[in-house]
Amino acid sequence: MLSSLDPRIARLALPDTAPAPTPKAAFDQFETFEVFHQKKDGAAYTYVGPVHAPSADVAFLFAKEQYSRRFACTGMWVVPTSAINLTPYVGDQESVYDGVSAIVPTADAPAEPQEYAIFHLKKRGKAHTNVGLVRAASAADALYQAKLTFGEQRPVVNVWVLPWNEVLTLDPADRDIWLTTPEKKYRDAIAYKVQDRIERFKLETGTK
Amino acid sequence: MTDPKKDLLYRLADDQLILGHRNSEWNGLGPILEEDIAFSSMAQDKLGHALQLYSLLHELGEAEPDTVAFTRNAAQFHCSQLVELPIGDYAFSLMRHFLFDHAELLRFEALAASSYEPLAQVARKLKGELKYHVLHANTWIRQLGTSTEEALEKLQAALDLTLPYALGLFEKTEAEPAIIAEGLFIGEDVLRAQWLENISRVLNQTQLELPDLSAITPVGGGRHGEHTEFLQPLLDEMAEVFRLDPTADW
Repeated sequence: MLSSLDPRIARLALPDTAPAPTPKAAFDQFETFEVFHQKKDGAAYTYVGPVHAPSADVAFLFAKEQYSRRFACTGMWVVPTSAINLTPYVGDQESVYDGVSAIVPTADAPAEPQEYAIFHLKKRGKAHTNVGLVRAASAADALYQAKLTFGEQRPVVNVWVLPWNEVLTLDPADRDIWLTTPEKKYRDAIAYKVQDRIERFKLETGTK
Repeated sequence: MTDPKKDLLYRLADDQLILGHRNSEWNGLGPILEEDIAFSSMAQDKLGHALQLYSLLHELGEAEPDTVAFTRNAAQFHCSQLVELPIGDYAFSLMRHFLFDHAELLRFEALAASSYEPLAQVARKLKGELKYHVLHANTWIRQLGTSTEEALEKLQAALDLTLPYALGLFEKTEAEPAIIAEGLFIGEDVLRAQWLENISRVLNQTQLELPDLSAITPVGGGRHGEHTEFLQPLLDEMAEVFRLDPTADW
């Protein structure tokens, strides 16, 4: 049996050697979700990164742990990666919207308009940031509507279009779940100032 | 114990400390990394809650928080027996978390209006954290409570096992009439009714079945210092480092 100084491990009565891992199916991972956070009241939601999760609800929990552990946060959006429509990238000083034109109507009955959240990337290496919502009949139409509303902004090197009904948001009444986060200094390495104590110990004991 | 404030604070703080310590035992051993981090963070929150409550006790003349936390024996603790049970499998720990934190959130929401203003302030500040703990518990109970046969079997067994102990959360002490009369807290009976409504609402969204409560005898005793065989070993383990040098400055 595996012996350990950690009583929690000792209690598990584990074998001395780990059993061989069982073969896993390829691509058996959870779906991915993309996470956006709001740093303070009224600030635009900004992309922070992905999480793997079995559902949007669970993705929200993981997102909170991964992306809002340390600094102030007042809101978080989670959306399945597969729901995001993205444009090609353009040059650093250009705008994606220069290549966007109105959708040519087809013979099909037009789809019911819905809301889309529009995200701009101003510069490569920065994060996509929400500029607002538009109403449109499709993601392609939403991009054109975004051009009409936000097209003056430059540069816009990339645009993400998210169907709003796919975005999981938190009831604003529940944003107090982040109320105490900035106080959790124990999560920051800088909160552990031990160098002066080490120096004092060395002085007292005459060690170097 | 006669002071109703101290009676109330000790029960609150001891529950948080012991469950915080128990849940911290999952650190590094959780089912998946993200969940391990989430569960450990909440365990840490609970230790923080205990510290705030022990600090209020200190203001009322009790010993320093560390002394109170690390030097008492099991018989001097006022925690419910629910929180001291070993972590078991993850289904058990998750179910205990669900049943406990639903009660705790309601407790803190009620305490936010307590006539004892220092406690009301602590409750107003911390209830957001408890709201998240409940969100976390609800999410997993809904997710797993509507999933595979194995998950349902494990969670149902955990619910059946945990419920009598969870009902012990609402065990009253001699101070109960004074606590209600002085407006410190709404009282255990009102809390229990609200709790039952809230957990039922979530369980109804799953394939899990809430056993008939009238057929269950609550496991009490904890509020009066009667504990399971599991509490003293937990206290010994928790205080092992502290007792090496009780005067050390951490």
